[in-house]
Amino acid sequence: MATSVYLSNPTVTINSVDLSDQCTAATVTYTVEALENTAFGSTARTYTGGLANNSITVTLYQSYAATETEVSIYSLVGTTTTIVLKPGSGAVSSTNPSYTLTGAYLESHTPINASLGELSTIDLTFTGGTLAKVATP
Amino acid sequence: MYIIVSPRLGTPGDKFEPADGINVQALIDGGLISTDKPKKSSKVKEAPEEN
Repeated sequence: MATSVYLSNPTVTINSVDLSDQCTAATVTYTVEALENTAFGSTARTYTGGLANNSITVTLYQSYAATETEVSIYSLVGTTTTIVLKPGSGAVSSTNPSYTLTGAYLESHTPINASLGELSTIDLTFTGGTLAKVATP
Repeated sequence: MYIIVSPRLGTPGDKFEPADGINVQALIDGGLISTDKPKKSSKVKEAPEEN
C-alpha cells in the first residue's frame, strides 16, 4: 500500500514567497457545498453540488527578520492572494501534484503568538477562491 | 517593473513578473520586491575646458 510521509519535502508558496522552510503543517481542503434536494417520494436524503468553498491552512514559525514570515504575511490580511502547495520539492507530476488556490482571502493573522520557552508559530487560514490541481509538468 | 529583493521569490536583482492573483502591493510593503529600475552605469561628465 502506497502512503505519503511528509518530512522536509513539501513546498509552500504564499503570494509568490517560498516559506517552505518556515512551515510545519499545511492542509488543503477541497469543498463543494452540499445542497439538499430531497423531495417528497424520496426514501433517503439526496444532495447536489453547490458552490466551491475551499481553504488552505498552514502553520508557520514566526520571524520578524527581513524577508521572513512577518513581512510576507502582515500586508495580506484583508486581501486575496494565491497559495501553491506541493507534497514534494520535485517537478510537478502525477505523484507530486501541485495545488493552487487563487483568490484566497486571509481574514486574520496573529503577529504575536508567544509562549514562554517555545518557538513562536502562527496559524493562517486562507478561505475561498478557486482550487486548481496540476499533475502534469 | 518590479525587481526581486528577497531570495524567497527568486534571484535578487532579477525582474519579477507577478502571476495572476498575486498581491503585489503586499510584496512591496514587505520589502520583498521593489519598483526600482535596474541601475545604469554611471556616466562621468568631463569638466568643460576653460578658455
